[in-house]
Amino acid sequence: MGGELGCRVASLLEDEPWVGSLEGIDADPPRYRLRRARFHRIAPGDHDRVVSLVTRYNPHVVVHIAVWEPHSRANPARAAELTGDAATSILGAAAECRALEAIVVRSGIEVYGRRRGRLTRPDESVPTDPTSGYGRVLDQLEHTAAEIGRRVGTTVGSLRLASVLGPHVPSPLGRLLRMPAVPFSALANPPFAVVHLDDAARAFVAATRQRLDGPLNIVAPGAVTVTQAIRRGRRIPVPLVGPEWALARRFAYLSGSPVPEHVQELFHRGRLADNHRATDLLRFTPAASTREVIDQLYAWPTVIRIPAQRQVA
Amino acid sequence: MAPAPPPGQLATVVNLPVRATRATAGATLGTLRRLVADDVDDWGRDDAVVQRMWSLAALRWQAAVGGTEHVPRRAGALVVVNARRLALAPVLAALALGDATGRPVRFVGRPDIAPIGPAMQRLGGLLACADEITGALRARQLVVLGAEHTTSNGHCGRVDHRLIGAAVAAGVAVLPAAAISSPTGRAARVELGAPVRPARRRRGPLEELELAGAVQERIDELLSEAGATLSGTPLDWVAWVGGWARTAAAGAGQ
Repeated sequence: MGGELGCRVASLLEDEPWVGSLEGIDADPPRYRLRRARFHRIAPGDHDRVVSLVTRYNPHVVVHIAVWEPHSRANPARAAELTGDAATSILGAAAECRALEAIVVRSGIEVYGRRRGRLTRPDESVPTDPTSGYGRVLDQLEHTAAEIGRRVGTTVGSLRLASVLGPHVPSPLGRLLRMPAVPFSALANPPFAVVHLDDAARAFVAATRQRLDGPLNIVAPGAVTVTQAIRRGRRIPVPLVGPEWALARRFAYLSGSPVPEHVQELFHRGRLADNHRATDLLRFTPAASTREVIDQLYAWPTVIRIPAQRQVA
Repeated sequence: MAPAPPPGQLATVVNLPVRATRATAGATLGTLRRLVADDVDDWGRDDAVVQRMWSLAALRWQAAVGGTEHVPRRAGALVVVNARRLALAPVLAALALGDATGRPVRFVGRPDIAPIGPAMQRLGGLLACADEITGALRARQLVVLGAEHTTSNGHCGRVDHRLIGAAVAAGVAVLPAAAISSPTGRAARVELGAPVRPARRRRGPLEELELAGAVQERIDELLSEAGATLSGTPLDWVAWVGGWARTAAAGAGQ
């Protein structure tokens, strides 16, 4: 509930008439003011406190959004560790709750992988075959949730999100695209899709409301190529062919925009997914298209200056 | 020492090339922007690239499309076309059909390796994989599938029943199409037939197998109805052989 997405979901759930009480756990405090929700600041690795809190609260529905994308707020190893810890604590504790009816977890379309010969737009029926560390972490998370759901007899919905972009969202893809000069694969320049933070949050609320069972792709309609995204942002395109990528990654790391494995994969092989089932099952269609999200990415100010309400000096 | 020109005249002399240069640079940049627009759709197809490629193809081929009334207006459909060796018939058929119907048309058979794969993806290429074709057909797309390559222009090669299965799974129509062209002439034609339906309902994979056979037969009929048959060998590149074949076919038709 402390991250941008968690906070947005909590804020939307507060407005839902069917939601009685709402409690959230995160390592960081919420970004927004939440009216009804109660927040508990607990580290993901503090299993005892998490188990104690969750079992005492005995929720009907658990929305698990605690996924750390590599190089968003933590390095890849730490991100995988935090995600694993949070999944073990929260989902494990949820399994002990008698009232539990449904679990909704955050996943990503990285679980499909981009091995050669893989489908251009995989739908939910395509078996997962992650080819990046982040994809494997998400795949493992889905399996853990599904296993718990099978054991305790609850529905488990996994929302496979495209790269989430939004104002203040610490996304490595967004950060890289906003650099003054952006590298791209001159030989491939593949298309990819993203999803807006608000749309991702609305998808979580819809999935929770309808007790989603099974995986579901949440992807904004349309696609852009890397060069198109660069041009929309009026950045300098830096064409790369192959070996220079290692150098470009190091330079980007030093410049404050590290390129994790799954983002490099996106730049080389693209990342699309079929989103028609979300409309069929949840009657949910993302409001912002991929192109609009990319345009907004460049429109968001780097620093928002809020003038003082009262001049004191 | 020559007298200095008045300031107004000097400004005119200096401004003239500046304006012209600006206008030229603006126009060039605009053209460049349009050329690299790469405004792709959900599947990575770039309509501007397709238009440019079609304009280039028009320099070589004068293509005509017949039987477009069989193409659904909004629903998806699988168009199966005969393919001669080295002829890229599915690509050209997709471009011609797209131009004739005004709908984006995709073709099956792009490799998944850079740079050819991504380039063909811009033209609407899909991987030769049943699940990929099913996804496109379910998304109401028109997809052109090439039959197995042959050396004969008068016969259609084997149609892959596994890929036909994509249309069965998506519940869309399968249209046969005959692509007729000559390496020596400019005229090319894509003739679409009415949707082919299996002779009887099957519960298993026999439906795809029988449908593939029926489509192949129908394309053979379309090719024979169209007349101009060529050998499909390098001999077709010799003008008089192609001309002779056409004349013979026309004579037989009379």
